[in-house]
Amino acid sequence: MTLLGPRTRNGPAGPGGPSAAPGEAAVSGSPPAGPAVWARDLVTGLRFAAGGGREGWIRTALTAVGVGLGVAVLLLGSSVPSLIDSWHGREKARENLGQANPPRPADDTLLYAHADTRYHHQNIRGRLVEPDGKHPPKPPGVAALPAPGTMLVSPRLKELLDSPDGTALRERLPYRVVGTVGDAGLQGPAELTFLAGSSALDERLGADRIDHFGLEFVQRPLRAPAVVLVIMTCVALLTPVMVFIGTSVRFGNERRELRLAALRLVGADIRTTRRIAAGETLLGSLAGLVLGAGFFLGGRQFASLVTLWDINVFPSDITPDPVLAALIAVLVPSAAVLVTLFAQRGVTVEPLGVVRSRPPVRRRLWWRPLVPLAGAGLLLTVSRDAGQVDSALNTTRLAVGATLLLLGVTALLPWLVDAVVRRLHGGPVPWQLATRRLQLHSGAATRAVAGITVAVAGAIAVHMTFTGMQAGFAASYARNGRPVVEMTGGTEGWEQTRQALAVLRGTEGVSRADGALESSVSAAGDPGRLMEGSDFRMVDGVFATVADCAGLARLAEIGSCRDGDVFRTDNLPDDTFATPGARLNLDPPEGFRPTRPPQVWTLPATTRTVRAKTADDGLPARGILITPSAVDVHRMHRPLLHLTVRYDPAAPDAVERIRTAAARINPSMAVVSLAENRHDGQYDSLRTGLFLGAVVTLLLIGAGLVISTVEQLYEHRRLLSVLDAFGTRRRTLGWSVLWQTAIPVALGLVLAVGSGLALGSLLLWLIDSAVFVDWPVVAAMAGAGAGVILLVTVASLPPLWRMMRPDGLRTE
Amino acid sequence: MTPAGSLLVAEALHKSFGQTHALDGVDFSIHPGEVVAVMGPSGSGKSTLLHCLAGIVLPDSGTVRYGDHEVTGMNDAQRSALRRADFGFVFQFGQLVPELTCLENVALPLRLNGVKRKEAQRHAREWLERLEVEDTGGKRPGEVSGGQGQRVAVARALAARPRVIFADEPTGALDSLNGERVMTLLTDAARDTNAAVVLVTHEARVAAYSDREIVVRDGKVKDMLAGLR
Repeated sequence: MTLLGPRTRNGPAGPGGPSAAPGEAAVSGSPPAGPAVWARDLVTGLRFAAGGGREGWIRTALTAVGVGLGVAVLLLGSSVPSLIDSWHGREKARENLGQANPPRPADDTLLYAHADTRYHHQNIRGRLVEPDGKHPPKPPGVAALPAPGTMLVSPRLKELLDSPDGTALRERLPYRVVGTVGDAGLQGPAELTFLAGSSALDERLGADRIDHFGLEFVQRPLRAPAVVLVIMTCVALLTPVMVFIGTSVRFGNERRELRLAALRLVGADIRTTRRIAAGETLLGSLAGLVLGAGFFLGGRQFASLVTLWDINVFPSDITPDPVLAALIAVLVPSAAVLVTLFAQRGVTVEPLGVVRSRPPVRRRLWWRPLVPLAGAGLLLTVSRDAGQVDSALNTTRLAVGATLLLLGVTALLPWLVDAVVRRLHGGPVPWQLATRRLQLHSGAATRAVAGITVAVAGAIAVHMTFTGMQAGFAASYARNGRPVVEMTGGTEGWEQTRQALAVLRGTEGVSRADGALESSVSAAGDPGRLMEGSDFRMVDGVFATVADCAGLARLAEIGSCRDGDVFRTDNLPDDTFATPGARLNLDPPEGFRPTRPPQVWTLPATTRTVRAKTADDGLPARGILITPSAVDVHRMHRPLLHLTVRYDPAAPDAVERIRTAAARINPSMAVVSLAENRHDGQYDSLRTGLFLGAVVTLLLIGAGLVISTVEQLYEHRRLLSVLDAFGTRRRTLGWSVLWQTAIPVALGLVLAVGSGLALGSLLLWLIDSAVFVDWPVVAAMAGAGAGVILLVTVASLPPLWRMMRPDGLRTE
Repeated sequence: MTPAGSLLVAEALHKSFGQTHALDGVDFSIHPGEVVAVMGPSGSGKSTLLHCLAGIVLPDSGTVRYGDHEVTGMNDAQRSALRRADFGFVFQFGQLVPELTCLENVALPLRLNGVKRKEAQRHAREWLERLEVEDTGGKRPGEVSGGQGQRVAVARALAARPRVIFADEPTGALDSLNGERVMTLLTDAARDTNAAVVLVTHEARVAAYSDREIVVRDGKVKDMLAGLR
């Protein structure tokens, strides 16, 4: 044993053995020190924790849970970069739309086109392939490319297609399912994707010829706002966990101090007792490390069930950075031990008991607002440089500013609780008991409530940010969203456009459909110029739109019009090359393509200049407007088909039918519904996750509060028995427990709402979004706080009743 | 036989804790204004008898009557109400509520009985003066000496003008000088208000303040005056 240092050095002091002379221990100088002694004391503490009886085991278990949660949260946080990299990496590995320097047809090339669609607010990624030879490249997760008319699907898409909900989708994807795409070919387990074989792909219809899959993947650091959100989430989650650990390590403190006093009586010095106390916590910390790894590994198995911001990953993607994981494994248990030592500051364990040398702390205000103000100051300085928000300096300032603002709240709370309860006098007996107890011992309650404050403030701020962004989108859609579906894609010519319009106009629910072909033209003889350091060629062009007279009338005030007429809008620059009689090139020499012979077309001398109208997208039409007979569309390079379909919003599933019609016209066409706010789902999933996280955090804090309240009751058990002897009603003490919890929690929530709103407003200001307060969420958070108060009170009542027994009156 | 005019009477009380018989057929009675010392060695059942008499615990068998009321037939709420209204308590270590000032501690039983705060504190102040600790009113228990604290505890026991005061080793934590002063103040105040005092002690010099002594040994009671009557 190390408790009796000098004797240890001299060996055992048993009968017949060598022993120190009387008084030798007192004069032999300071007790032994060094790593070996430290280790032995820590091991002694470990043994006490393991054999310390019920309260020792409870403390160890609670510490283990706290440390475990902390470790799990940090491991999850440290996995975010690898998670994002894996997610992006798989997308890049399977993609090559628009390959730079497209190859010529060969045995190892294929035509490749996208066929994305959306079905009942879910994105479906689709790709079409048509090999040129026998050895085409294959994307990851695919053993063999599907033959024309067949497709490989992701497991989740197969489920959807096989379900009654997928009936309309089966019409849209007229391919026979012949297999599934492997995990390597999926972004995540919940992804809806298919790879279909085709025999009708055409570069003019939007297909690309490629000779490999996989795009270069450059790992980029997270954007500044994302860094802030991740840090704020971690701070909001970790603070309550640290508070919980702080509460756990104090559990059974009274008995531990008695034990340590007994050790002092047999000769242990103060430092030894502190090391032993740290050793007692170490067992819980080490168990927590194992538990945390278990929480993390077990929890990530459920990753496939979670989709946040359209991101859904495989469990294996959630892998922490090894260096960070090692740091977490060392730092979190060490933090728990430090908390134990911190809790013992000002406490001197003497042989006959414990002396608390700390005078009552008068909490000063002057320095406390400085922390959140420094945070706000940092955020405000960033906002002035909003244009460079992604710079490393700004990212750091944002992260530090947000963290200081959040944590600054915890500095303000003890002062606020002190300042308020100091002014509370009188009132009924329960109120008086509670306020007086808080006046003397507000530390434990304030520590626990600090966790609530940070969690709620963080949740409100992040919620507000997302709600503000979501509200911005919602307002934009409310302003611009109309029952219109826009489609763009490749085309074979005007005839196909006419047929497409006929199909769409015949679709149930469609009230009007217009179409045009869009391309650009340059001056004949203009060779273009290469971009510096690149093979990419650029040329000065003018937009050319081909449509029938009705279609052109939507774009400009053309007046009388016959097929064969050509117009130009009145908003072209004065020095434009597109003047009547000018020779134009319908296939401008731009892009990576090798230069080709110009497709010369003369702008008719009869071309009329007409006033441009503002198109549906709010921009004025600009360029040359051509009726179909006036030009051979096939001479244009990849003209873009643009279809605008209006529908009756009252017609059920009109958008889904339009999408299906579009897929039949050209599966590679991009279809966008202007009325559908795609961001709603993303924000909703995020906000739901946040709210659940905040509620779980509050429950954790509630558990910590229950522990500290019960611990406090236990320490006052004799007094409770005396009060019971006086005939004190149970409800009197029950109410006092309620008030004792409610006062700091209410103050914490007031502070949290204030600081959360301030931080949220700052963040919204930073991203130039209108400040929008989500009052229902604020009310829900306050309600959850009230729930915590009730939970703590109700959970504390049974032990309170038990301790109001005469057992505590016994003195013998 | 119940002595005539008794305020609190116990008959044939039995109380066991596991295999231990704390009370084994105990009879007891006390008159208004009488001070009865309950003596006996450690673990003899003195405190258990006090707790049974005060309705803090129920005996396994036997009855406790207070005036016309059978305490052992009351439910918990009724016994609590009885303790609030008619009984007062002094314990070995005072057991004052550390968060309240001494004045508030003394006022506490009155406030638990529904007396308004100012009225309760006025009464409490009078009792502090009578117990010679008026200067402790604004202090918390941790800021006063053991003797002062015990006097505050006596003031608290007397403040609601109880008809029975239960004192469990009231001087056990005090030096002899302070102990004697506390006993003098307690018994004088009790006699002035005609309150009965059940005084549990193992010290003969404390028991000397009583009118009558009973000894509890192995759960049985022996009235020291019985032979003299």
